[in-house]
Amino acid sequence: MVHPGRFPLPGTAAERYIDARMNPLPSDSPYPLSSAALSPRGDERVAPDDATLLRMMAGGDEQAMGVLYDRWHPMVNAVVLRMLRQRDAVEDVVEETFWQAWRQAGRYEANRGQVQTWLLTIARSRALDRMRSMKRLREEPMEGDSGEVIVQQAAEGDPAMDAESSERRKIVLEALAELPGEQREALELGYFGGLSQSEISERTGQPLGTIKTRMRLAMLKLRGRLQVLREDGR
Amino acid sequence: MINGMTHEEAREALGALALDALDASERAAVLAHVADCSSCRDELMAMRETAAKLAYVVSPVPMADEQRDRVRARLLARASLERSAPPVQTPTTPMFAQVTPASPVRILEPSHVPRNTPHRSTPSVPPLVLRPTVVPHDAAIIAMHRMEARSRWMAAAAVVVAVGSVWALMNTREERDDMKVQLQLATVEARADGKVMDSLRAGLTARDRMIANLTGPEVAVVTLAANSPRSPSARMFWDQSVGAWTFVAHNLPQPRNGRTYQLWLVTTGGKVSAGLFSPNGSGDAVVKATYPLARDALAAVAVTDEPTEGSPQPTTTPVLVGTTRAR
Repeated sequence: MVHPGRFPLPGTAAERYIDARMNPLPSDSPYPLSSAALSPRGDERVAPDDATLLRMMAGGDEQAMGVLYDRWHPMVNAVVLRMLRQRDAVEDVVEETFWQAWRQAGRYEANRGQVQTWLLTIARSRALDRMRSMKRLREEPMEGDSGEVIVQQAAEGDPAMDAESSERRKIVLEALAELPGEQREALELGYFGGLSQSEISERTGQPLGTIKTRMRLAMLKLRGRLQVLREDGR
Repeated sequence: MINGMTHEEAREALGALALDALDASERAAVLAHVADCSSCRDELMAMRETAAKLAYVVSPVPMADEQRDRVRARLLARASLERSAPPVQTPTTPMFAQVTPASPVRILEPSHVPRNTPHRSTPSVPPLVLRPTVVPHDAAIIAMHRMEARSRWMAAAAVVVAVGSVWALMNTREERDDMKVQLQLATVEARADGKVMDSLRAGLTARDRMIANLTGPEVAVVTLAANSPRSPSARMFWDQSVGAWTFVAHNLPQPRNGRTYQLWLVTTGGKVSAGLFSPNGSGDAVVKATYPLARDALAAVAVTDEPTEGSPQPTTTPVLVGTTRAR
């Protein structure tokens, strides 16, 4: 069982789900083109990769944004849902995420990381803005709420995660599993909870210096472990 | 030591900075250090890459079909509008304030509309009840176009504002948000007189209304398509909750001399004209109208090439046509 408000760990239902999804690897394109916009006659086409879609978007092709949205909205939605948990706000933030991608498509640099990561970073940033503007950090404690349950239930029946994303997720989960629980908690509260170190200190009752140390050590360890995911963009 | 923080102190905080987990004062101090320290900049970039990967711990959660389609339609509508619109407007610029010769505004007033036109004889088609969508500032500019804009062809029309220049679309959320910020600033600083405040509020209200008409939960979207060398395209946004219609077209060729485009709502009770329009130099056009119509009464939206004064019924094969499947 995944503990609410915590990163799911390997060996959980989430982990088994990933394993099941990864064997065997799908033989078809990991990015099925669900939009008819780029294939108006219904013929078989290879979907443009994400970086190409961004270039098309930068050139004013809104249909390219539609394809990017079709491809990545489940991941963006998942991140935002994990942070906000209010469906109206989630919908708004998902829209704003892709809208920002549309507006800033021309600024995307492939050598700075993959489009997916770029999108998710935007999503988290917009969700943080919303979270803080709603001033809900102190009012709605994360402990015991149902956010993770929502994510997990949806994930069980979701066919959208491609092999590459699954592999990334597995690596990140394994890296997190190697961290001491208190470091993982600090990361969780900071990343998805949107809490500052002071707020985490308040929330957990631990001294601020302790929280700082936990977060710093956790990030250093993760940095080393996640080097394997060094991104080159696409 | 730079800016009150040692290199070591700043470096230890980079992970938290990458997670956006620093308090404001500490964040400012670390950023000040990073600005002058290339090694910390590199380290911060690496930390940010690391933090970004934490998003992968969630597994995808597709939105419900209706929600997914709604967001998608809104995004495409906004992109379509922005693609057509010129660069950022100043927030206080009133709607429809700039109308170029290539984008005439045409207003049909009820006093000039014959009461016994063919459309009026179709009882099952309710009369068009159209509202002007201009803010007070635009009255003078709109008035300049009224003399050339009057027409007698359309049944039961009250007011139609057809704006070829998509500059008039102006209702992006960015503008709305900018205006909100301006309004807040003006309020807080108490340096705006009543006129400025009223102007901001009026503009904000108009933009909110436009956004609602394009993106509301009850907005149906009809995509119109055509076959021609320039591939004109269009979308009609029908806010069913208030009967607001916003038609946006691209790549329309200029009509020949003495001709214009006419927009039609093809309803179960007949074809209702929704306005005359001409595209601007880029082939873009926007028509806004208000017309209450039962949700299941719309069969299609079409655009035909008609004489300048318009026609009571379509007289040519549609240049663009779209049926009402998309929602």
